[in-house]
Amino acid sequence: MTRTDLSKVRRPIAQANGLPNAHYTSQTIFDEEKHALLFDGWAGLAAASDVPEIGDARPIEFLGIPLLLVRDRQGDVRVFQNICRHRGMILVSQPRKIEGAIRCPYHSWCYSTQGELVSTPHVGGPGQNKHDGIDRDLLGLLAVRSHIWMGVVWVNISGDAPSFEETNGALIKRWAEFDKPLFHGGPESSFTLDVNCNWKLAVENYCESYHLPWVHPGLNSYSRLEDHYHIEIPGKFSGQGTEVYRQIRDDSGELFPDFEGLSKKWDTAAEYITSFPNVLLGVHRDHTFAIILEPLSVEKTREHVHIFYSTPDTDAGLRRKNARQWKDVFEEDIFVVEGMQRGRHAVSFDGGRFSPAMDGPTHLFHDWVAGRLESRRQAAM
Amino acid sequence: MKTLDQQLLAAHEIGDGRVLMELYAQAAEQADTDKARGFYLTHALVFALECGAPQVSGLRQQLIDMGRDTPV
Repeated sequence: MTRTDLSKVRRPIAQANGLPNAHYTSQTIFDEEKHALLFDGWAGLAAASDVPEIGDARPIEFLGIPLLLVRDRQGDVRVFQNICRHRGMILVSQPRKIEGAIRCPYHSWCYSTQGELVSTPHVGGPGQNKHDGIDRDLLGLLAVRSHIWMGVVWVNISGDAPSFEETNGALIKRWAEFDKPLFHGGPESSFTLDVNCNWKLAVENYCESYHLPWVHPGLNSYSRLEDHYHIEIPGKFSGQGTEVYRQIRDDSGELFPDFEGLSKKWDTAAEYITSFPNVLLGVHRDHTFAIILEPLSVEKTREHVHIFYSTPDTDAGLRRKNARQWKDVFEEDIFVVEGMQRGRHAVSFDGGRFSPAMDGPTHLFHDWVAGRLESRRQAAM
Repeated sequence: MKTLDQQLLAAHEIGDGRVLMELYAQAAEQADTDKARGFYLTHALVFALECGAPQVSGLRQQLIDMGRDTPV
């Protein structure tokens, strides 16, 4: 097993180096991180609004695992492994509405939207739908632990992580004021960006405000570097905040409605935090967003962006304007994350150094990654 | 006039679950052996389950009464 030296990553920021190149270029390390960072904790999988109505089912491949996102008959979102318990056949190949039961296309075993096995046709012979050796109660769909927060469906593939609330309690508490209904802005408030970089570089870039003046010069007129602050909770999450959030207006000056009951802080503040490992979140008085990072391969990532509002009936034109504005900002970041990715093939690059004043949130993420990997490696010994 | 077989094939071709349920239920009524009836009722039940039809409980009960299925 290839093992990288993570000792320099764990040093205090002023002496630390970043993660070695292999963490951005090696399939072996990618596979190791897949378990240590994504499967063993709570990773972002999809938006709950990807299955908006009862019966909606959407197959999703998550790092090679076939999953099925379903909104069951009671309106709850569930995640299953997208396979029949009989012969492992893929159950649902395309997004569709489940009118009644989920029928396996191979031998027609049927499952309720809550995952119960409700029919095993001919299992005991032609026209004989029962057999003593087949206990339907034990052969329901394989449920994946899931949780919904900030409009995102989070999953724990390993099945043994502490609860979502325990894992993310600090961030849930920090943003408790946003613990209210979030209304997805619809198709126009959702877009994807494919970037040629390892998913962690998208996190690292999102962490810091240091690059804003150069990569996002449009912010310089109203949200300067000094208006930003670091958010750093070691081992949990990191990011940045701004003290000068400026609301978007339409041509007649109209704004989005605010979330109810927010404290005065949010009149002018906004915060941008990565909930480790892979969900980049943003909160503002009048909208939130989630960027779910889907690792496609070692050096490719798909960013799924979803924007949410305080009411279900915001102005469509203003939603389009807001989505366009955020898309422009996120597209501005593409060249730097892709450039850093190409740079990881520079054979003498030592992982780089961190500005002690400006790169705290980024180093905190590197340290979190290194810590999770070291724990997993230790447990394997 | 299409035979029942032809109607079934046509319904399978387009994947119409409700029509398949009705046709298989019809085939079950016309079946002259318990075994054939059980086979066709099973198919009717599967398509009823898939399309969420109200006939599910009645079809399953018929199979339970024949000793060919169990309650959920």
